[in-house]
Amino acid sequence: MTAPAMVKLERLTKRFRSPETREVVAVDDVSLELAGGSFVTLLGPSGCGKTTTLRLIAGFETPTTGRILVDGADVSRRTPDKREMGMVFQSYALFPHLTVFENVAYGLRLRRRSGSDLRAAVERTLALVNLHGLGGRRPSELSGGQQQRVALARAMAIEPRVLLFDEPLSNLDAKLRVSLRAEIRRIQQQLGITSVYVTHDQSEAMALSDVVVVMNAGRVEQTGPPDQVYRRPATRFVADFIGRANFVEVEVVAPDAESAEVTILGQRMRIPAATGHRAGSIATAVVRPESIRVGAGDLRATVQRSTFLGPLAEYELSIGDQVLLAVDPDWMGGGLHGVGEEVACSVRADQAYMLPPNAPAEVAPEDPDAV
Amino acid sequence: MTVALTLAVAFVVIAIAWPILSMVGSSLTGEALPVFVRYLTPPQNQILINTVILGLSVATLGSLLGFLFAYVQVRVPLPRLMKRFMHLMALLPIVSPPFALALAAIILFGRAGFITHDLLGLDVNIYGLHGMVLVMSLSFFPVAYITLSGLLRALDPALDEAATNLGASRWRTFRTVTLPLLLPGIASGFLLLFVEALADLGNPIVLGGNFQVLASRLYLAIIGQYDVLAGAVLGILLLVPSLIVYFVHRYYAERASVVSVTGKPSGRPIELTHRPVAIILTALAMLVSLLVALMYGTIVFGAFTNLVGVDNTLTLDNFAFVLFGYGLKAVSDTVLLAGIATPIAGLLGVVIAFLVVRGQFIGRGALDFGTMLGVAVPGTVFGIGYLLAFNTPLEVGGFAIFPKLTGGAGLLGGAVAIVLIFIVRSTPGGLRSGAAALQQIDPTIEEASVSLGADQATTFRRVVLPLIRPAFLTGLIYSFARSMTAISAIIFLTTPATRIMTQQILNETNSARFGNALAYCVILILIVCVAIGLLYLIIGSSTRVDRALDPTTTVPST
Repeated sequence: MTAPAMVKLERLTKRFRSPETREVVAVDDVSLELAGGSFVTLLGPSGCGKTTTLRLIAGFETPTTGRILVDGADVSRRTPDKREMGMVFQSYALFPHLTVFENVAYGLRLRRRSGSDLRAAVERTLALVNLHGLGGRRPSELSGGQQQRVALARAMAIEPRVLLFDEPLSNLDAKLRVSLRAEIRRIQQQLGITSVYVTHDQSEAMALSDVVVVMNAGRVEQTGPPDQVYRRPATRFVADFIGRANFVEVEVVAPDAESAEVTILGQRMRIPAATGHRAGSIATAVVRPESIRVGAGDLRATVQRSTFLGPLAEYELSIGDQVLLAVDPDWMGGGLHGVGEEVACSVRADQAYMLPPNAPAEVAPEDPDAV
Repeated sequence: MTVALTLAVAFVVIAIAWPILSMVGSSLTGEALPVFVRYLTPPQNQILINTVILGLSVATLGSLLGFLFAYVQVRVPLPRLMKRFMHLMALLPIVSPPFALALAAIILFGRAGFITHDLLGLDVNIYGLHGMVLVMSLSFFPVAYITLSGLLRALDPALDEAATNLGASRWRTFRTVTLPLLLPGIASGFLLLFVEALADLGNPIVLGGNFQVLASRLYLAIIGQYDVLAGAVLGILLLVPSLIVYFVHRYYAERASVVSVTGKPSGRPIELTHRPVAIILTALAMLVSLLVALMYGTIVFGAFTNLVGVDNTLTLDNFAFVLFGYGLKAVSDTVLLAGIATPIAGLLGVVIAFLVVRGQFIGRGALDFGTMLGVAVPGTVFGIGYLLAFNTPLEVGGFAIFPKLTGGAGLLGGAVAIVLIFIVRSTPGGLRSGAAALQQIDPTIEEASVSLGADQATTFRRVVLPLIRPAFLTGLIYSFARSMTAISAIIFLTTPATRIMTQQILNETNSARFGNALAYCVILILIVCVAIGLLYLIIGSSTRVDRALDPTTTVPST
């Protein structure tokens, strides 16, 4: 097997112009570098340009400007059938008139494979996605999850340089989504194929990816490993779109390279911080709900709302005029707090993060589909 | 429910089954046997062979045209105006009377044809197989066009993309994905065109020349020779293949409707970007559209001349004849009878659709099948069947329990029989569109109504009918257009007391008074168009209900 493909997007821009509407910039100057064998997720709300970026890579759209390089070769003007990229579609796009076997064999036949060689390749791929023995079925005779596996098998069978996923799990129910994403990750690791995965589901992105690319309004907001993006969001949008976040105003007292002495909620502490802050300025810190310890500390808060979720208790706490979302995984030890109750709490200093100065104030929209 | 069911069953038994069985009965007698032998052995079996040749030719050319128009319409990027024009030209034949295109063809391409003789100086005979195939393909291809363009639009564009993504070229994608998925639709259209070509009477009479087919031979047997026995035998020969092919078509039509298995179709249809192919296809479709436009132009122009091609002076005499002279009675009779039949057929269609889709009784399939016989059985066969079944009153013990319907002495001068046949012929359209719409509606919506205290009749009236209003409208338009343009089924049933426009067109054509015939055609087309406009106004546009049925949009306040 050849080494996994390295994919590079160079200043990619795609403008759409339709007769009725004015020009729309779907992808705006996007540059990315995908290491060979990595699993990269394009994450963002609908309309952020993630799907268009994927379709540009697949060749279903041609970039207005910019280039797409695979192992250094420019493929931007190549038609999709010449790109050797397997794609898994949101609607699966299984050929309904062909059996499962023939669906998987479709790309192989185009590559002049036949006879026992073809049969073996198809069977091997079907086994990989746990569909052994279902080759004779029609797509309509399969469950949604099985159809999704066939779509995956069909894309993988051609041993593509790159695997592309366009929200492949969005038509499945929550449980199936979780088990299939684990399977996709397993297979991708096993084969080591460079993969690009489009989703608006942040938990899916974090579970699957080596690298998450958060997009908004056609632009890349941040690129990085999931934990990095979660802990050190580059913008307010990223912090809000990935997971849940409290935004707390802080006064910068003494900034240094990677942290800063700040006044937060009336308390002086040193928290991790982006660079570029000046002493005496006002900045925004991200405090994740799980970074607030409930039931201990020097802060006094009033419970505004209390929701019991089983493994967690979730509270809306008010401290002065600041309302904070907090989760308490240790509710069994500390007990549940009712609305109106006064509780002690504290911010875990090492888990807060001060956003870069002048980070755009935009906040990610509510995502009803997020799990 | 029981009342509706009783009515529906009575309708199928009396108006459909009885006439067909009467014809079958009279062809199963001993004296019919030699007639069968005559038409099944040389030289008379040539008629049967001719019929099959005609059917296959029309079905083939019509399917190709339908596919061409559908493909260009859905997949070729073209200016909107051009697409609208082609769409319109493809639909025009549906609302026009049976002889219109045949007459235009004679005027343009006949022995003294404007194009063939005057412009090109050719000596061409339009009468015969080629003329019929040309005109009938143009007349019937809209059916294939509508089916296939609907299917092409419904195809998930991701299917094409998936094939391309796996390495298939455009041609390969078309051959291995698009075409196979359209195949049930193509087959269904082909078979339907075959049945239509078999059953068509108008064109073989006007354009057939020496090329006799079953329908025209049957017409001759009844009208020329008063030979009802021969008519019945020819009717059987026509009936059996029509029925078989029709129900094979239904099988394919049902398969064609479930092409998409998963998810929601995403994005807009794939466009054909290969310029040479796009240009060739567009040019072909445009050429055919222009031909249709030219033919309809000829019809309109001819309606304003004394004898188009020979005497091109403009005149209003033809319209005076149709609107204020002899033709007036035909116009008013036809509009009246079609106007009576339309609401009955439309309502009957949705009621039977409701019974068939939602009913729990045994024999739902039979009710569906029986109603669909209304279009599956060739019109001429119904004509003979009605003659045989309703020419004498049905008497039990000296009392007429069912009156004589056909002929001048029939009930209301034969008008009842004609209305009945209009209903029989157009109820299936309402049934199909109604059934398709009902299958889209979740039964729990009706259960909700019943649980709130509404009985079944109220639920049907207050919930079901408003929801399937677009289908109901389609059924009404179909009924009216079909009744106004019917010829084969009523040709044996018109009487001096009840004149029908299509029958008058045939008379004028046979007497070579093309001006009058064309004026009738123009008036008829106008009436149908005005009626469609009125129906839209009364019943309302379909969009609002469609939107209400779509859960992703907010339901409007009405």
